[in-house]
Amino acid sequence: MINKPDIHDLLTEARRVLMNSLTPELKGEHKYEALMIANAMGMAIRELGQGEQAKVEEADRAVSAFLEARSEPHHHAECEAFLAEAIRERRLDGGDEALRNLLRTLTEARLGINSPGYLKR
Amino acid sequence: MFELAEAFSQFVVGQTGARGAKVIEFEKLSGGAIQDNFGLSLQIEGGERPGLQELVVRQDAPSGVAESLSRPEEFRVLEAAFKAGVTVPEPLWLCEDLDVSGQLFYVMTRADGSASPRKLVKSDLTVEQRRNIVRRLGAELAKLHTVRPPVRSLDFLTLPGQDGAALSRVAIYRRHLREMAEPHPVLEWALNWLEDNTPEPGPAVLCHCDFRTGNYMMAGENLTAILDWEFAAWSDPAEDLGWFCSRSWRFGAHEREAGGVGEKQDFLDGYREAGGTEVDPTAVSYWEVMALVRWAMIALQQARRHISGEQRSLELALTGRMVAQMEYDLLTQIQELEGDQ
Repeated sequence: MINKPDIHDLLTEARRVLMNSLTPELKGEHKYEALMIANAMGMAIRELGQGEQAKVEEADRAVSAFLEARSEPHHHAECEAFLAEAIRERRLDGGDEALRNLLRTLTEARLGINSPGYLKR
Repeated sequence: MFELAEAFSQFVVGQTGARGAKVIEFEKLSGGAIQDNFGLSLQIEGGERPGLQELVVRQDAPSGVAESLSRPEEFRVLEAAFKAGVTVPEPLWLCEDLDVSGQLFYVMTRADGSASPRKLVKSDLTVEQRRNIVRRLGAELAKLHTVRPPVRSLDFLTLPGQDGAALSRVAIYRRHLREMAEPHPVLEWALNWLEDNTPEPGPAVLCHCDFRTGNYMMAGENLTAILDWEFAAWSDPAEDLGWFCSRSWRFGAHEREAGGVGEKQDFLDGYREAGGTEVDPTAVSYWEVMALVRWAMIALQQARRHISGEQRSLELALTGRMVAQMEYDLLTQIQELEGDQ
């Protein structure tokens, strides 16, 4: 079914109205609430967008490949849970540069959606 | 609100032996999801505290979630800190009679100024003023850390386990993480690091455990009160020092390691010169890492309160999405610390 404009477009426009027209008129607690709504909408927009989603999928694939290369049990849909368990049970070396890079890739993919500004500091 | 103000006013009259009191102003103050804070100005006739009194009433919020100290416990901690000479609001009276307002509450003096972290961090202070502020904050902690167990009025505070405060914390966070539905490999990795790099434990002292920018009041460049004592515990002195310097509490001023306000060395010098326990700077860095893990754990628990439906809240939901920031800071900080070795 084609349903235009798409949801990414709708949310982007709704957020623009919220930020440009409504928020400047608000004060105190209401302004704070409007900014929280804009923040949540921004995350939704990025999560729906293809660029950030591709990074998330790439990070998941990297986790699978990493576990595969170390003969760690895993299946793709829950690879992050397998990774967490292997770390907790100390089957992976915490000092391993490849592990650290992998953890960074995962974290950066999340930050790309949740708070991209944090990566640019 | 009027009835509540009158109830508090009558309570104060009873405590001070006054002839009467008139409510001049009564307002709900911002901040605190677990407690309600009210500003209460009273004109008191006679008794122990006659004249205009600017007070704060702190009571449990109706929806209070108690993973922290109760109001009576917090009042005892505040009394201990006040007695040790720490700059806190003077704790005046505790009310354990639920018939007065429907909740437990206590009354303290009201401090001047603002606790807003952004206001302080962005304010136009000279290097000298910044140095003085963080040295003073260090000195305040030194005074607090002179309170050591056993203290009879604080017998509700638990002592760290035999392995020390750090490993006690790690054990708690491991348990919390196991209870989470979703995996957090970075936090698992950081907990391993904390377990493998534990510094020599310090003595058990009274720690504030949430001593950071945003939890103290400033009037211009003057410290007027250290607030929010509900997480106080017997712990390692380096825990308070590390929490204050954590990357999470610099409010955008990342280069100013001491609370976004000043230099870490000045903060630690202020602590040491005021008689604080000898603390190894590596232990402070270690506890900065612990602080990031602890804040991530708190954020995960807040998000869970929203997700489970226990307390639907946009603010709690967004806090859950902040965990990636702590994880990013953990990766950066540990890498930096290892580079320094």
